[in-house]
Amino acid sequence: MARLVAEDIAVRFGTFEALRGVDLTAESGSFVTLLGPSGCGKTTLLNVIAGFLQPSRGRLAVDGKDITALPPEARDSAMCFQSYALFPHLSVADNIAFGPRQKRVARDETVRRVDGLVRQLGLVDHAGKLPNALSGGQQQRVALARALAVAPGLVLFDEPLSNLDAKLRDQVRNEIRALQRDVGFTAIYVTHDQAEALALSDMVCLMNKGVIEQKGAPRDIYFRPRTRFVADFIGAANLHRGKLCGGAMSTPLGVLHCCHEDGEDVEICWRPEAARLGGDLSGTVKAVAFQGAHVDVFVSAGPETVRLQVPGELNVSIGDTLQFSVPPEGVIALEASANA
Amino acid sequence: MRNAIRIGLLLAPGVGLVLAFMGAVLYRAVAQAFGLYDFSGTSDGLSLAHWQDVLTTKRFWRAFQWSAYIAASSAVIAVALAYPIALWLRKPFRGSLILSAMLKAPLLVPGLVAAFLLVNVISYHGFVNEFLVWAGVWAEPRRMQNDSNGFAIIGLQVWKQMPFAFLLLSGAVQAIPDPVLNAAQDLGAGKFARFRKIILPLTTKAMQAALVLIFIGAAGDFSFQTVAGPPSVNSMASYMASLQGSEGDWNGAAVVAVMLMALSLFGAIGLTALVQLITRTLGRLA
Ligand SMILES: Nc1ncnc2c1ncn2[C@@H]1O[C@H](COP(=O)(O)OP(=O)(O)OP(=O)(O)O)[C@@H](O)[C@H]1O
Ligand SMILES: [Mg+2]
Repeated sequence: MARLVAEDIAVRFGTFEALRGVDLTAESGSFVTLLGPSGCGKTTLLNVIAGFLQPSRGRLAVDGKDITALPPEARDSAMCFQSYALFPHLSVADNIAFGPRQKRVARDETVRRVDGLVRQLGLVDHAGKLPNALSGGQQQRVALARALAVAPGLVLFDEPLSNLDAKLRDQVRNEIRALQRDVGFTAIYVTHDQAEALALSDMVCLMNKGVIEQKGAPRDIYFRPRTRFVADFIGAANLHRGKLCGGAMSTPLGVLHCCHEDGEDVEICWRPEAARLGGDLSGTVKAVAFQGAHVDVFVSAGPETVRLQVPGELNVSIGDTLQFSVPPEGVIALEASANA
Repeated sequence: MRNAIRIGLLLAPGVGLVLAFMGAVLYRAVAQAFGLYDFSGTSDGLSLAHWQDVLTTKRFWRAFQWSAYIAASSAVIAVALAYPIALWLRKPFRGSLILSAMLKAPLLVPGLVAAFLLVNVISYHGFVNEFLVWAGVWAEPRRMQNDSNGFAIIGLQVWKQMPFAFLLLSGAVQAIPDPVLNAAQDLGAGKFARFRKIILPLTTKAMQAALVLIFIGAAGDFSFQTVAGPPSVNSMASYMASLQGSEGDWNGAAVVAVMLMALSLFGAIGLTALVQLITRTLGRLA
C-alpha cells in the first residue's frame, strides 16, 4: 500500500522542458493511468517516480515520507519497462527472482512467488529459458512478473501490453487488474490507448507536452473534457467555435444550445453519440460507415463536417440531407488550453 | 553428408591454406624439438636428448617463470586498469570522446619506440634522474634501468596493451542497455550488486579475451625484454634467440618454442578459468 504525491515536478533535458509543473496524487491501492500522445513525457514522469531521473524542481512523497532524494534501489516501487529490459544472462525464473533475492526475501517465499507468477502469467513451459529464446509477448510477461515479484507498494507500468495480440492483451490486462485488487499495490500505468485507460483506471491523467492537461475519473474525462485537446484525444468530438449569446451559438449546421455563460469567443464540443435524429440542425451526408450496432455518419454544412452516431438500423446514404439535434446537456463548453 | 563434403570443399582453399601454414610451423617446431631438421648440419634423428638438455638447465626455468610472471602481471594490470575506465566512460560526457581517443593512442606507437623513450626517461643520465638531482630531491642519480623486478617491462606492456583491453571492454560495457541496469537498480541492486550480477557476467567474455590475448602477446615478448629487461634473466623469446643465434642450438631453441606455446595455452586456460571462478563466486554472493 502506498499513497504517492508528486508536487510541481519539472524535468529539463538541456533547454527542452520534458515536464512542467506536474501535480499528481495516487491514492493507496488505486489504479492511475497516464495517457497521452507519443513524446508527451509519460516515460519521463515514470522515471522520476522510479528515481532514475532527478527532477529539476518539485518533490515526491510516498505515504507522507519525502522520497525525492532517495535512490531507486531504496524506493518501494518496481517498474515494468517499455523495452522489457530483461537480464539476458539469467533464466526466466532467475529474472523473476532477482528482485526478491535483492530485497532479501526468504528463500521459500521467493520460490513461492516465482512459481505463482510463472503460473499466473502462463510461463510454466519457459521458466528455464533465457530471455532471447522467448517471443516478444512472453518477454513482456516476464517483465511484468519480475516487477510484481518484489511485491512493491507502487508498480509503474510503461505500456506493458503494447506487444501482445488483442486476445492476450485483454487477458493480461484483466490479470493485472485482478492482481492489483488482490495484492493491493498502487498502480501507475502508462498507455497511449484511450480505451485501455478508460477501462482500467480509477483515475486518468491526460498529458500533453509535459503537463497534465486534465485528470479525473474516466467518466469525468470523457463526459466533461475541459480543453479541446482532451475532448479530441479521448473519443471523437465535434468542435465549434464562435460567439455564444443567450446560450446559443449559430453554426453552419444551425443553432446549437448550450448551458454555459455567454462569451465572444467560445469553443464548444459534443460527442457523436449525443446527436438525436430529427430536429433543427441539418447537413448533407458526406460519408457513412456501418459499425454493426451503430452507424457513423459524417454530415457537413458549409466548411464544417461533424460526426454523428446513429442506430445501426437507420438507412442513410451519401447525398441525403439529415435533420438532427443535440440536447443542450450534451454540449460542453471548453476552456482555452493551457498550452496551445 | 553430401552437404558436409560440399562445405568442406568450399572452405578448403581458405581454411586449408591457413591450416597448412600454421601446421607447417607447428610441425617444424615440434619436429625440431625432437631432434629432426637441425640447420647447423648434423641431425641425429628422433631423440628426447634436446628436451633433457634444455629442461634440466636453471636458465630455462628462470626464463619460463619470468615470462609467465611478466605475461600474467601485464595482462591482469592492463585489464584491471582498463575495466574501471571503460565503466567510467560508458555514459558519454563532455570530453569523454577525446579522452577515449587519447587512451587508444598507444596502439599507434610501435612498442620498440615506446621502449626507447622510456629508457631515455629513466636511464642513469635520463630525464628523471637529471631533474630530481637538479631539484635536490636525490643527492645523486639512481639506477632504474633494467630493474630486476621487470617493472619497466610490465609498465611498457601495460602501456601498450591497456588500450586494447579498453577497446574490448568498452565495447562489451557499452552493449549493456541502460534500462537493463536501471531495472536491476529498481529491483534493489546497489552499485556493487549491479556490477557483480549484471555488468560482470555480461562482460566476462570480453575480459577473458583481453586477458588471453595480452597474456599470449606478453609471454612471447622479445623487444621490451631486450631494451628494458634485466641482464641477468631471459624471456622465453630472448632465450630462444640466444640458443639459436649465439649457440647455434636449433633443436634447443625449438624445445623452448614448444614450451612457449604450452605456456601460452595453459596461461590462457588458467586465466579464463580464473575469471569464470571469480564471476561465479561474486555472482553467488548474497
Ligand atoms: N534523455 C533525454 N534527453 C533529451 N530528451 C529526452 C530524453 N528523454 C526523453 N526526452 C524527450 O522528452 C520527451 C518526453 O519523452 P518520453 O519518453 O517521456 O515520452 P513518452 O510520453 O513516454 O512517449 P512514448 O509514448 O513514445 O513512449 C520527448 O520529446 C523526448 O524526446
Ligand atoms: Mg514512453
